[in-house]
Amino acid sequence: MFARACAPDAAQRPFVVASSGRHPQVVAANAHARDAGIRRGQSITAALALVPAIALRERDPAAEADALSEIAALALAFTPNASLVPPDAIVAEIGGSLRLFGGLARLIDQLRAAVQARGYTTRLALAPTPLAASLLARAGSTMPVPDIAHLPDALDPLPLALLDLDPGAPAALDAAGIATLGDARRLPRAALARRFGRSLVDALDHAFGNRPDPRPPYRPPPRFERRLPLIAPVDTVEALGFGVNRLVNDLADWLLARGLGVTRISLELVHERHLRERGLSPTIVTFALAAPARAPAHLVAVLRERLARVALPASVEAIVLASDETATLPGRNLGLLPEDEAGTAIVPLIERLRSRLADDAVVVLEPRAEHRPEHAMRAVATVHGAPASRHDAVMSGNASPCAALPTAARPLWLLDEARPLGTTLETQPWILRDGPERIESGWWDGRDLRRDYFVAETPQGEIVWIYRDHRYGTDDGEWFLHGLFA
Amino acid sequence: MNPALARILANPAIWRGGDCAAEPACIASGFAALDAVLPGGGWPRAALTEMLLEREGIGELRLTLPALARLQSEGRSIVWIAPPHRPYAPALAAAGLDLSRLIVVHRCHDRDALWACEQALRAPECGAAFAWTNARDERVLRRLQVAAREGRTWGVLWRRPGQHASATAAPLRLSLAPHEGRLAVRVLKRRGAGLAQPVLLDLARERGAPLCLPPGAAPIAVDSPHAVDLPSSAIASARRVRARLRA
Repeated sequence: MFARACAPDAAQRPFVVASSGRHPQVVAANAHARDAGIRRGQSITAALALVPAIALRERDPAAEADALSEIAALALAFTPNASLVPPDAIVAEIGGSLRLFGGLARLIDQLRAAVQARGYTTRLALAPTPLAASLLARAGSTMPVPDIAHLPDALDPLPLALLDLDPGAPAALDAAGIATLGDARRLPRAALARRFGRSLVDALDHAFGNRPDPRPPYRPPPRFERRLPLIAPVDTVEALGFGVNRLVNDLADWLLARGLGVTRISLELVHERHLRERGLSPTIVTFALAAPARAPAHLVAVLRERLARVALPASVEAIVLASDETATLPGRNLGLLPEDEAGTAIVPLIERLRSRLADDAVVVLEPRAEHRPEHAMRAVATVHGAPASRHDAVMSGNASPCAALPTAARPLWLLDEARPLGTTLETQPWILRDGPERIESGWWDGRDLRRDYFVAETPQGEIVWIYRDHRYGTDDGEWFLHGLFA
Repeated sequence: MNPALARILANPAIWRGGDCAAEPACIASGFAALDAVLPGGGWPRAALTEMLLEREGIGELRLTLPALARLQSEGRSIVWIAPPHRPYAPALAAAGLDLSRLIVVHRCHDRDALWACEQALRAPECGAAFAWTNARDERVLRRLQVAAREGRTWGVLWRRPGQHASATAAPLRLSLAPHEGRLAVRVLKRRGAGLAQPVLLDLARERGAPLCLPPGAAPIAVDSPHAVDLPSSAIASARRVRARLRA
């Protein structure tokens, strides 16, 4: 079975899309414009005479192609096999997806809702062959055709003008009094091919399912980059929210169609042209995610937080969202109980935190096999799933936590800088609880040290980690406070 | 007790002076003496706790480690926000924490720290959020308390020495002080009757919170604790170190 979607824009005011060229014509008009009497094929001057206040925009074939591939990417969420029928249609094989989505009616509802959520109106038609589906959709017949046996009933009344035929064929058919597909189908094939061209017979065969009609499947581009021109220049980042939302939804469709998650995205804020020409470069907001993601709500939340901290140097007239890096993101089984889900998803929190704070402000700690206390750990910024699982660490053998664990008491707080105790110890007696532990290491990188560490208790009852620095001698080293047994 | 009296007391409509409000969900602190005085028998899983420190380095973190390890074993993560010193990874790992589930947010301003704290408290995947902040604004603290309740996260506000506020929205406020080699936990506020006497915990002896010795490692034999009378005895101890090293 096949479904079809076509894509005009919708707006509140009378809105007309004009063809380019010396004598522009109305290509499409919205409901308001049609109410005022504007029809397709009218000249623009006639349309302006009817409604002087129409919003007029020149037809942009590139944008139309973009919109079509956007919808094709969306359709790939429902079927693995969709293909473009330029200029305005998509055929998608949905027979294999019916069971997954719980039946034809539900699948159509979801598909229609998904397309409408992106601001397109659709006309869906279902038929057993792709060409029949396109023809039915183009003719406006939404009655589903369940199987090939019912195809002649549905297709016979359709006018032949819907087909793409050889030049000259439509006039010849008209002159012969052949108006519908049914008329043509009943005539001898050989004569039909000779008089009206091979393409007519081929089209009939494809439409009625007498010959297979393979279509090249739509493949989403390897990199996502989409530009959204804003209706009016925007001065505040808050006003960008709608556009960002829309682009992120497109990105999510693209990611789903390719089975990917994004790990680094960039949002380019393009400033007005006259400022660009004066050398103002676009403002670029990038964000690296801790793990591949494609949930639109999450991506929007992250980008919005980043955007909130951007100061716009000038107003913005377009935004461009691009996927800089992606990684495969396999489907995930959903948990049956709420507890199954808890804990698996710390990544969204990390990213929310990082979206507002600096990238290196959110870290996880990692012990290192190193004797010098200040080098025995490192803070790893949580980018790209850096917090490796313990299993991986043991397997790779370089950061095995077991190897890095100390064999003597270690404080939970380590001071950023060891604090010289000066004469404190001379005035108050401290009780040494444990030690000494000689740590002497690091001659190879110039930060060598030779220290005797003690666990001590201060008169106030704090348990601290102190050392005596023996770097410059043996007996007269100074005492330092290095940690707290918190 | 008289059985008739016991029957009356079993009626849920009867409240007694020493009772605490039933805390919906708690996590055992790992210290029986402390659990006995906390409402519900442990740290609140979905509320703010305020810890007022008389001093630092008295075992305040060790007090929380058993609960943190338990939260991690449930698959939830822990967030520490704006810690005053570097959390020392080897000691934390030796104490049984899973470092990949401990997220440290550092190098941030106080406002960002409070924002991060709220985010962590609201996140259901986060089991405990510790924040070292000097926030006193009642509205901010109430907001954090609501976030903790909604995110079902144990939030702890650490008040360093000299940062004590007089009253806050946290339903549980504890004051921690050293007392003759033990940790004295004074319950300043709880959902229940006041408690005059502090709870004394011997962290070094209690199971589950050793002085961060690695599991299986023999503790270093400590001669009787000796006072240091500097400088001469310190020099003597250093000499003993060398003698031991040579031997």
